[in-house]
Amino acid sequence: CSRLHTKPSISPTLLLSNMYQRPDMITPGVDAQGQPIDPEKMQEHFEDFYEDLFEELSKYGEIESLNVCDNLADHMVGNVYVQFREEEHAANALKNLTGRFYAGRPIIVDFSPVTDFREATCR
Amino acid sequence: RSRSKSKRISGFDMAPPTSALMPGATTVPGQVPGAPPAV
Repeated sequence: CSRLHTKPSISPTLLLSNMYQRPDMITPGVDAQGQPIDPEKMQEHFEDFYEDLFEELSKYGEIESLNVCDNLADHMVGNVYVQFREEEHAANALKNLTGRFYAGRPIIVDFSPVTDFREATCR
Repeated sequence: RSRSKSKRISGFDMAPPTSALMPGATTVPGQVPGAPPAV
């Protein structure tokens, strides 16, 4: 969507922008070399990513939910939403993740206003 | 899962190659780190 979303100054939920990169992000089902990708590999790649993330984020507090946007719309491709039990855990994670890298790319982390993912679609 | 789960390196703190440190050149299309080829 093209709405301007507000960024709260504190929230239990963090948004990690464009963090997950699908192996077939350029053309669906095909890798950067133009070779078809085995769906199983895609799944494995995704699970590895999810695991990495979960492990790292667990260091900062109890995770309530962890959502990875696996879609190809430019504005939110690979966005990761992580909701902590406590706002201060989220703040701690934000502090610790800012300025770091994941897989050679800078981590872009911000608070997100989303607290209920069932209600999180843009309308 | 076929490969062993124990010895996989996390993608966290994997710094970008120095050539990619220039602004605007940070994303390498098709870069899929942290996924060793399955045997």
